[in-house]
Amino acid sequence: MTYAHSPLTAALLHSLVPVVLPPEANDLADDVVAHVALTMGALPTNFRRALITGLYGYDTLAVAWAPGGRRRAHQLPPALAEAYYVTWEHGPTPAHEQLAKGVGQLIKLACYEHPAMQAALGYTPAAWIDKVTRRRLEVYGADIARQERSVIEPDPLRPPLKAPRAREVV
Amino acid sequence: MVALPRPAVRQDRIPAGVTTRDAIHGDLVLDADVVVVGSGAGGATIAAELAECGLDVVIVEEGRYYTTRDFTADASAAVRALYRDGGATMAIGDPPVLFQEGRAVGGSTVINGGMSWRTPERILDRWWREAAIDGVRAKDMEPYFARVEKRIHVAYQDPESIGQDNHLLKRGADAMGWKVIPNLRNQVHCAGSNNCAFGCPTGAKQSALVSYIPRALHFGARLLSDVKVDRVTMHGKRATGIVGRVVGADGRPGHRVSVRAKLVVAACGAIQTPALLARSGVRSPSGRLGHNLSLHPNVKLTAVFDEPVRGWEGVHQAYQVREFEGEGLLFAAVNIPPGILAMTSHPRGPALHALMQDYDKTVVAGMLCEDTSTGRVRTIAGRPQAFYQLAEFDAQKLIRGVALLAELLFAAGARRIATPFAGVPELTCADDTRALYARSIPRKAMEVVTVHMMGTAAMGGDRARAVTDGHGLVHDAERLMVCDASLFPTPIGVNPMETIMALATRAAAHVLDNHRQFA
Repeated sequence: MTYAHSPLTAALLHSLVPVVLPPEANDLADDVVAHVALTMGALPTNFRRALITGLYGYDTLAVAWAPGGRRRAHQLPPALAEAYYVTWEHGPTPAHEQLAKGVGQLIKLACYEHPAMQAALGYTPAAWIDKVTRRRLEVYGADIARQERSVIEPDPLRPPLKAPRAREVV
Repeated sequence: MVALPRPAVRQDRIPAGVTTRDAIHGDLVLDADVVVVGSGAGGATIAAELAECGLDVVIVEEGRYYTTRDFTADASAAVRALYRDGGATMAIGDPPVLFQEGRAVGGSTVINGGMSWRTPERILDRWWREAAIDGVRAKDMEPYFARVEKRIHVAYQDPESIGQDNHLLKRGADAMGWKVIPNLRNQVHCAGSNNCAFGCPTGAKQSALVSYIPRALHFGARLLSDVKVDRVTMHGKRATGIVGRVVGADGRPGHRVSVRAKLVVAACGAIQTPALLARSGVRSPSGRLGHNLSLHPNVKLTAVFDEPVRGWEGVHQAYQVREFEGEGLLFAAVNIPPGILAMTSHPRGPALHALMQDYDKTVVAGMLCEDTSTGRVRTIAGRPQAFYQLAEFDAQKLIRGVALLAELLFAAGARRIATPFAGVPELTCADDTRALYARSIPRKAMEVVTVHMMGTAAMGGDRARAVTDGHGLVHDAERLMVCDASLFPTPIGVNPMETIMALATRAAAHVLDNHRQFA
């Protein structure tokens, strides 16, 4: 499913990046927001619509939040954005809490899936996978080939009812 | 450069016998002896067993056909591709429980951890005694387990594939004097890439994708991928086939697909199977279709050590701590990538950084809880929605399990531990673990996940209490069979893949023994 943020959703997510993520991730805000779009594209349509509606509600209800000075959430300065997020995080209903939690999860996932953040953590799985894959094939090639042959060896539970429709696996 | 041998089960391209959406250019009608909906642990197994004996089998899978070479360390891309709804599937309740289902050829076996355990004898005895299922006790099931274990190559890990996170778990268990055992896994010289949940990039994990599916195809089965089955077609109470739609690249329904068959097997897992049957108008006389949902609630702890751990270097869950098996608690080390660890952790802002900056010194340990409460899958506008309320007894069991597991991790040398409970400060010493018992931890503060959904079309000898008979044939319907974890009358307390496969092998034997009934 192809999904793109509306300008409002993108602006709101941008404003939430410094709330949810550590300062080290501030420079990655554009990439984080783009990654959130990828994840939202994989969600079921109804779920995504509900999430977008929730984000709209989060944004507009900030107008009624006294400390916000009648601004919408995406217009709040960082300190107030944080305080407003907390009111949802510990919100009056489970729906408030779930929305804050869910959006926070999407942003956290996007941040720590970013190659720059992973490199900063020393997380290098691709190199490890490459190394152990090669080692496995070098050391255990014969055993691996034996198991692969056994996958298609006949081993009937009983004599066939009809002649099997044997096909070469290519 | 020396050319390395590549796995021979054609892990780099789509094999003959598989038809993907790219090859379906119009409405399609097929005839077969058996149509199997779903290609995971249950569907692939029964398809291979029946095809081997000469039956004409068509497997219909909603997900894509991916090859081993498609699987990389890009976890979030894998989740979007291989997991239903991008992994955002949730049972509604207090707390909500995030669950994962595979949606790809091979089903959830492509994304599971590869734990291969027989059903505990006490569970099989219970099924025999309480659910009145004949031929399901350990001695009866022995040949089916043995057959499955040979097919998916169940074995212990090679020592060099075991990473430091698992060594630390074992060190902690040994220090506590607790029972810890090496895990049995369906693998051939697993390299320890620790990518099980995102598709095995080496082909070592013997998921259905590289074991039962190629076997079924070799013996003549046909597989349609990218086809979502709308319903089972019925003539009165007799199942006559399925109808579905091709799933386009944009997720929209495309050409219509019909398969007419003498036997229909629903093997879509404990969430999708009851919905498929409900959409098809199947009404269980027991009224229990979709009920009896068990989840094996899982929670995780994040323990930071002084020493380098690099948990991604080494196999997932090399050991299981079985000391508290009698209480329905299992512990294991379950490294997860940073994005998913951050996503499922409570801290945010600088506190999140404080947790994540020590990622390379972190052991993520998980706990499986055999649950006592049950939930339900309802079908709403054709889609399944799970509801599950964690019982207070099980919530207390989770707290006890977390305290015990934290104690183990401190015994292994952990310096601080983040719990799965929002509002509970990090634990910094073993005394803190004992304080957990005294805390009031509301269920809504618990971060609970699962990959083991079971029981929603339970088998049993009494049609007033069970949805299917002891072989999975739906009561009050003809030629309609269930073949997945929906069948479990109770949770099993261990990883369910081998149980599903053994029941599928047994179901295949029943079909073959009674083939005239399905002719």
